[in-house]
Amino acid sequence: MEKSIESIWKEGFLKSDALVAPKVNNLYTQKSIHVIDKFKRMFRINLIAIVVFSFVFLIISYFIGIPITGALFFVMLSALVIINKRLLEGLEKIDKGVSSYEYLKAFNEWIKQQVSVNERFAAFLYPIIFLSMIIGFWFKDAEGIPLGERLVGEVLSGFPDTYLIQGIPLIAIVVIIFIVALLAIFGGRIYQWDLNIVYGRVFKKLEELMADLEELSTP
Amino acid sequence: MSNDFYKTSILPFSGIIIKLCRAYTNSQEDFEDYFQEVCLQIWRSKENFREESEWSTWVYRISLNVCLTLLKKKNGQNFVSDSLRFEETVDNYAFADESLNLLYDAIRSLSEIDRAIITLYLEEKSYQEIADIIGTNPNNIGVRIKRIKIKLKDLLDGKIN
Repeated sequence: MEKSIESIWKEGFLKSDALVAPKVNNLYTQKSIHVIDKFKRMFRINLIAIVVFSFVFLIISYFIGIPITGALFFVMLSALVIINKRLLEGLEKIDKGVSSYEYLKAFNEWIKQQVSVNERFAAFLYPIIFLSMIIGFWFKDAEGIPLGERLVGEVLSGFPDTYLIQGIPLIAIVVIIFIVALLAIFGGRIYQWDLNIVYGRVFKKLEELMADLEELSTP
Repeated sequence: MSNDFYKTSILPFSGIIIKLCRAYTNSQEDFEDYFQEVCLQIWRSKENFREESEWSTWVYRISLNVCLTLLKKKNGQNFVSDSLRFEETVDNYAFADESLNLLYDAIRSLSEIDRAIITLYLEEKSYQEIADIIGTNPNNIGVRIKRIKIKLKDLLDGKIN
């Protein structure tokens, strides 16, 4: 090699026009699309996971003797998937051709709508899931009689004065109603918590991007 | 990122940023991603600049860190690659000068840190400044550069007349 690397470097760059900086204005559009595409992928995987789980649980519930729980789970989770599938269709309609700020704003609006719909649904979903477990185990066969009746029998043998309504201890009814009420009241918050566990990082990135773009648009 | 910030605080240093990014990429698409990410990170980190060093040193340090991070993400766990692999550039990413292309291919086959050291050396940065950017002792830089030059010479021998 006759030339030194220093002269190859210097002469090479003198001959080349390769030092033109790429445009950076495209950055946010690319980033926005990337973040939202990532969210869409996660959202779809989540829906598929719910469908698979509801099917698997339906089968398992039959074999472990709580088919009512499995069936109610299946119905509720199917409704959840159908609602969110429809919401996802709305997300696909967001035009990628608009500016990144408009794109992110449209996505943000979609997220708000999605969260609002799911929060309302969660107020029913969690109590029903809880009740489905109670009902499922109540009617589970325990040596010829339902598990619930067997438990009541055992409670009555220990506490004969227990007040019953339709064969169910009043205290159990009160506790169940209390838990159902709590789940209905806090269902929205539980959903938010669940949402943050799954999508928290994507939302954080989205917030950062929005903040960057807002700072950019201020004169 | 405002246009003013880009023009006054990034563009004057874009030459070396571009050369650094090119040492870690072998396609135009990757290069643009790296460059844009470097610009974004410089802008995001501007509040953290404490004037303990030159702005240019700060900019090159961020550039290097971003390139290493992106490379790490790309290579998964194989962060420190000692294999002297010759990564050929994609056609549309080549320079007009063939010797420069071969030199860049050879640089890309070096370890991650050596790529930065030689790029900064070729840009006539002092040992002290290179050490500040890399975060190492300036006394070691000279020895390391000698070794890198020998390695590059071996790689290029017979390829460049």
